[in-house]
Amino acid sequence: MFGFLKKKESASIAKDRLTIAIMSDRGQGFNYPFMDELKKEIIAVVKKYIEVRNIDITKEINGDFEALSIDVELNKHLD
Amino acid sequence: MGIVIAVISGKGGVGKTTATANIGLGIAINGKKCVVVDFDIGQRNLDMILGLENRVVYDMVQVMDGEANLKQALIKSKVNPNLHFLAASQTKDKSVLDSQKVKKLVSDLKEEFDFIILDAPAGIESGYEHTIEFADAAIVVVNPEVSSIRDADRAIGILDSKSAKVKNGEEVLKWLIINRIVANMVQSGEMLRSEDILEILSIKLIGKIPEDRGVIDASNQGKPIVLDKKSIAGQAYVRIASRLCGKKVDMKNVEISDDGLFKKIAGIFK
Repeated sequence: MFGFLKKKESASIAKDRLTIAIMSDRGQGFNYPFMDELKKEIIAVVKKYIEVRNIDITKEINGDFEALSIDVELNKHLD
Repeated sequence: MGIVIAVISGKGGVGKTTATANIGLGIAINGKKCVVVDFDIGQRNLDMILGLENRVVYDMVQVMDGEANLKQALIKSKVNPNLHFLAASQTKDKSVLDSQKVKKLVSDLKEEFDFIILDAPAGIESGYEHTIEFADAAIVVVNPEVSSIRDADRAIGILDSKSAKVKNGEEVLKWLIINRIVANMVQSGEMLRSEDILEILSIKLIGKIPEDRGVIDASNQGKPIVLDKKSIAGQAYVRIASRLCGKKVDMKNVEISDDGLFKKIAGIFK
């Protein structure tokens, strides 16, 4: 009757593996439908003030916290 | 004005079509006018589960293309006059669907019925996106098993980004059905518990369906399992349909079976 103590229950292994896999799925390749449009508009605004080479927008999910991360890459010759 | 509910899963073979048929019939039994629409173009199956495969004359693609009108294409169920069915096209492929045509079909159905249940194709391709685009709510069907849950999460992600409601800043309702629960496997820790699945997917539960051999028997005959009053899966679908119709029905814990408990107690005295 103590057979169930022998090994870790597979359901809890499944839960741990799923939690990690889904976190990584959600983080990757997730795009809002308006992402390209948003990118274009940000480039247009920033370009008014400074030379922009590229803009990269990613959605990040850490636990309950979600954020849009916007990386603005500038042209090198500017200080 | 009816409510449009898409039944989705991500992974195939989890019981999506069975769920659609039984929820539809369950709603009809509750006295509401309901239509179930098969959106799985090229892989028509809902007609078989409902036992209506011999009555299909026109399909939903012909309605969308104006080759037939809705009245001609809608098939009334033999078992309940409140239930109607619209078949998928078997000859065309998923690419025939077009947003504007889907929108028109869905809004025409909303005029006629209280509930419009759309059976989505498996996968997360264009056919799936067209099914969820104009839905007010989605029922996500999973099995308590890793690949089904992971794929469901992807399908939910697409729902949250492609739904017309979400794009308008409104909320698309989402409910989970956990199908094919084996109580004694949950008890022995070999199957994920419903609380764990809800936590992983962060979604609300609308019902738990126990594994039931009667489901295959029912589909063999084209008689949805809700008609079998003794079936545990049938009873679970009746409870889900009643909840959708606004009745308060307590969640039955199908993860503890009397059978499992009895065996455990008997096991101690072995």
